[in-house]
Amino acid sequence: MTGSLGPPTLAELDAVGIAEAVRSRRLTARDAVEATLGRIAARDGALNSFTAVLADAARRDADAVDTRVARGEDPGLLAGVPFAVKNLFDVKGLTTLAGSRIHAERPPAARDAAAVAALRRAGAVLVGTLNMDEYAFGFTTENSHYGATRNPHDRERVAGGSSGGSGAAVGAGMVPLALGSDTNGSIRVPAALCGVFGLKPTYGRVSRAGTVLFAGSFDHVGPLSRSARDLAAAFDALQGPDAADPVASRRPPEPSRRELARGIAGIRFAVADGHFARGGEPEALAAVRTVADSLGARGVVTIPEAHRARAAAMIITSAEGAQLHLADLRTRPDAFDPLTRDRFLAGALMPAAAYVAAQRFRAWYRARVAAVFDGIDVILAPTTPYPAPRIGQERITVAGVEVPMRSTLGLYTQPLSFIGLPVITVPLARRSGLPLGVQLVGAPFRESFLLRTAHYLEAAGVVAAPIA
Amino acid sequence: MSSPPPPASGEDAVILYAERMAAAVGLPLDPARKAAVAQHLALLLAAAALVLEFPLPEEIEAAPVFEP
Repeated sequence: MTGSLGPPTLAELDAVGIAEAVRSRRLTARDAVEATLGRIAARDGALNSFTAVLADAARRDADAVDTRVARGEDPGLLAGVPFAVKNLFDVKGLTTLAGSRIHAERPPAARDAAAVAALRRAGAVLVGTLNMDEYAFGFTTENSHYGATRNPHDRERVAGGSSGGSGAAVGAGMVPLALGSDTNGSIRVPAALCGVFGLKPTYGRVSRAGTVLFAGSFDHVGPLSRSARDLAAAFDALQGPDAADPVASRRPPEPSRRELARGIAGIRFAVADGHFARGGEPEALAAVRTVADSLGARGVVTIPEAHRARAAAMIITSAEGAQLHLADLRTRPDAFDPLTRDRFLAGALMPAAAYVAAQRFRAWYRARVAAVFDGIDVILAPTTPYPAPRIGQERITVAGVEVPMRSTLGLYTQPLSFIGLPVITVPLARRSGLPLGVQLVGAPFRESFLLRTAHYLEAAGVVAAPIA
Repeated sequence: MSSPPPPASGEDAVILYAERMAAAVGLPLDPARKAAVAQHLALLLAAAALVLEFPLPEEIEAAPVFEP
């Protein structure tokens, strides 16, 4: 869980560690929340990850958890765990910004998003909302309205995006747990660049009700944390059917926490070649090799047409995103972030054949990738082609070739969210240098294989998320 | 009688398309922004070409409710 010797300090405790301490009366939820608020006050001025800190409400909610503990009631799996959410999740009483100025004009949300409510039911305490790219259309959280979120490992660098506030807040140890959303990589990219764990569950496994959608065909929500067991605990609190989300799966929840102790026995691994072994810096590809060696993964596997899948994902994202914001693009384009506006406008002008072909291609690709999983349980791939670039950087040289910095961050994540596969990004343990992530990719609804693998790698010391 | 102008190609064609399509669907396209929008559109059209050139079997249809 942490790289330090001796018992972890309160700041170093992961979410499960905090919940265990609260449930066994070694720590009050109030003290856990006060410590978190103190860390936010000390660190977030430099990082700009929070857009709202809900100190009074968090103190009240923490006291309510402590009252339940005092009465001998079950305070929940995540009792007293401070958490924060990307500001596209509805929080009752707060206006949902989705990174925009336009939505700032809207009234406060009438109720919590389903995922926020689920974590609260499990005893977790919401402490604030987090910065993001406008309408989730970006991989860097260089938000022109609310400022760039800075990477806790190097403040001159991006935190990744679009859930950049989530990555930075967890990476800096301000909160042990955050929620993000992932359409093309928006949980995995910031988790990798900020050196934390991130889970994008199977499409439909976790309800998106009460979130601002971006491209509904592949919008997902999921947790970021500093340990694999925290991902499992949050996933168990979040997963399950929800009639309020039209794409939510009706499959019953499949609890993952107890699976962790099973280790990796029986799990078949392979490394993705082709698209996933090209276009990245040597250190990003070497990170995959390090993880593969630790798992004894010797096989390679080809995910067919992954580059075309990425192209199709771009088309669907642009068309669906532009359509959602068409009225504002028509009447007040200047109210958009300059970093999203021209891309939304381009999406609004795309010929329909491109969109339909991309959706048809998705059906073909989904069937082909399902066949790849016939003999394999977990596929390994890099998360990003390079570590965190500098804020404001337009282009980057990767393996000797100059490419656009921002869009290329999604090179390896887009072909996977495109068909809703569950993915965990694990942070490679490094003695020096910037963080890098490796994706553990599973067949639909096989999150437990990924969580067991992440937990094993963490115990082996191959992956780790020490506070930056 | 003068001959018609040659059809626009490449970058010019995309700018023309963006101008006319934006006008047709009622989207304002600020002259200062036109080139940048066309540049993004060109990237999307290149992505579209990559998808459209792929020989999909006719029976493949998009899943209306996508179950992974």
